[in-house]
Amino acid sequence: MAVQSPPAPTQAPPAGGPAALPAAGAPPGPRIDRVAAALRQTPGQLRGVLAVLAALILGAGITGMTSILAKSAVIEETTGQSGRLSVAALQLYQALSQADATAASSYLTGGTPSEEMNEAYRTAMRDATVALATAAGEVTASADVELVARLNARLPVYTGLVETARTFNRLGEPVGATYQEQASTLMREEMLPSAHTLQENALAQLTESRDDASAFPYAAAALAVAALATLVWAQMWLSRKTNRTFNLGLVGATVLLVVFAGWLAMASFASASHTGRSHEEGSRPLELLAQAEIAAQQARAEESLLLIARGEDPKAAERYAEHMSELADEGGLLDQLDAAFSGDAGLSADIDAARDAATAWSNGHGEVVKLAQDGAYTEAVALAVGEDEASLQTSFNALNEALTAATATSADRFAEATVDAQRSLSGAAAGLAALSLAALISAAVGIQMRVAEYYA
Amino acid sequence: MIRFARTAVAAAAACLVMTACTGPANMEPPQVDVPTPLPEGIEFAPEASPSDPDTSCDPLASYSPGSVTAEQARATLDNPDQISIGISQSTNLMGYRDPETNTLAGFDIDIATAMVQAIMGDATKVRWVPMTSGEREPALAEDRVDMVVRTMSITCERWQNVEFSTEYYHAGQRLLVSRDSEIAGLAEMTSDQLVCTGASSTSVGNIVKVNPEVQPVTVPDFNDCLVLLQQGTVDAVAIDDTILAGMAVQDPTLEVVGEAFSVESYGIAFQKGNTDLARFVNGALAAMIADGRWQAAYDEWLAEPLAMDAAPLTTKYRD
Repeated sequence: MAVQSPPAPTQAPPAGGPAALPAAGAPPGPRIDRVAAALRQTPGQLRGVLAVLAALILGAGITGMTSILAKSAVIEETTGQSGRLSVAALQLYQALSQADATAASSYLTGGTPSEEMNEAYRTAMRDATVALATAAGEVTASADVELVARLNARLPVYTGLVETARTFNRLGEPVGATYQEQASTLMREEMLPSAHTLQENALAQLTESRDDASAFPYAAAALAVAALATLVWAQMWLSRKTNRTFNLGLVGATVLLVVFAGWLAMASFASASHTGRSHEEGSRPLELLAQAEIAAQQARAEESLLLIARGEDPKAAERYAEHMSELADEGGLLDQLDAAFSGDAGLSADIDAARDAATAWSNGHGEVVKLAQDGAYTEAVALAVGEDEASLQTSFNALNEALTAATATSADRFAEATVDAQRSLSGAAAGLAALSLAALISAAVGIQMRVAEYYA
Repeated sequence: MIRFARTAVAAAAACLVMTACTGPANMEPPQVDVPTPLPEGIEFAPEASPSDPDTSCDPLASYSPGSVTAEQARATLDNPDQISIGISQSTNLMGYRDPETNTLAGFDIDIATAMVQAIMGDATKVRWVPMTSGEREPALAEDRVDMVVRTMSITCERWQNVEFSTEYYHAGQRLLVSRDSEIAGLAEMTSDQLVCTGASSTSVGNIVKVNPEVQPVTVPDFNDCLVLLQQGTVDAVAIDDTILAGMAVQDPTLEVVGEAFSVESYGIAFQKGNTDLARFVNGALAAMIADGRWQAAYDEWLAEPLAMDAAPLTTKYRD
């Protein structure tokens, strides 16, 4: 405090003092005059500077803290409510497609589906019901609540139709095929579209959150810059007035505010980049992979339906071609995955494997159709759902495994990036609040000491 | 100042908490319709006008067997060692895959096998080509099959595109109902009852002609009618008795009732102009009917579920 020896007063001490305070009930005119008069005097001016500084520092502190808190809340949400909803909706869509594909193929194996197929169907149903229950707990929008309710109402009807189909199939009655077709129609026409809409709604919410999370806190930054500018100006003004270069309080406040601004900018940029990474490396491939998996499951279901209808369902053939082209045609989902991740060591191998399997499957499908058209129905079914190396079941399983492996990689990356984004914000809110409070106190002390000198 | 700061922080925190809980929870339960599984393309109000019998030709008059030999018949085939026959493999009791053995079976298949035996001298020299009913005429026109035995009604319109054998089964639309429904025939059905049939204009027309009150429902695949009847969505199914028989055997709570209210004469179809094959098959059919093999096939597949004797066949030649 060596620099803060008593100043040589350049101006007279303020006139009045407590006695000069306006009496209660005095008209407002004279009071404004008094404030104006006080501001013409140094201690009044010092108080005015302090008031402006306090407002700016507090403003920067509060907006900085709240924007960081809001960011963490939003990132929390991407792993929380809307994140959980979009994951649940996606899982629901996948599980329903898978259940339908498995139910349809297992129907083809006659009255006695293999234990593996039974298990796959039961697992898909378990996944679907769990995902539906999770989604039901997370939905907030009334449109989504209705979608979940619609799906909930249809799921038991679907399973009822599948079980009826199985029973008739076991009894050797062909009407089982019609029940299986009706189940698939219910799935295709009503349930999958609902699940798809739910997933799209959840993803839209998530994208909105992501944009919020990566937005830069302009208000806090502007206030911090204004506070800094004011501080610098105040110091220059004070040093002119008092002929002393430094006011330690104000210098301390400046340093604290610079740290504040740096932390704010760093935390914001880091969280934005991690959020972006979670999207680019995590959720976008997750979406594409899920779409690919769903297209594959639906194509598989249609392929089975075509055979269940004894080749007498041209619409199933059309729908198979549609799903297959969505998956494997030029510009299809596999191409999009390829274009985005061909240089990515973690994903490209799985995507290549998926493409090989899809090609094998697609070629084999032509063979199955040809066999069925030539009346070699038994051979066609064996090629489609048999267990040997050359069967389409094998290629389909390989495709699924490759997509699942790539999905696991992307899911890990998403979780990692989200954790990083949260870590980059950890402590920032409290730190920023503390810094701005310390800057405020420091500035107040620095100015108050100057003011006190006038009354010494 | 510090007090002010504390208040501001508290206010900011309150803001955050308030925005976190968005809006009050909706207490109204969501409105969801009762899920009723329906087949794709079902039509609850199909266009219907009473159909009139086709009198522009004598559809049942086919070519007389004459003296065409099996050799001459074989000469008309693309592959003299294998005849291609269009069939259904999804029409229970007529042409279908036995789900247990995965082999083809049914009344149509028995008739076709007898024809293969007669033409080729060996019942295994055949390639079965499954097809939908819409594919029957194109498959013949495009030379994909030599003949079609697939619940195909002989009509004047079809005579324009194909050759027909004589009638090998005299079918007609009857009614399939639940045993406890007390519906004894189409005429007795009321305006609040639904009757399901395939999506062809004539079958709806036949229904409306007998009973203009009842509500017809059509589906693209008539197999859906059985499921709709079992689910209680419709009260009766009105299709050809051959198909109803295939449905009735799958469910002991259903029965075929009433008299036939339309005539569907099934014939074997050949490529247009291939009269030699038609003549030889007509001869083989006549022999099959005469020696009891036809009756045996009827008894095996249709007699029990239809619970009546076969309608007599009309064997008529144009020359």
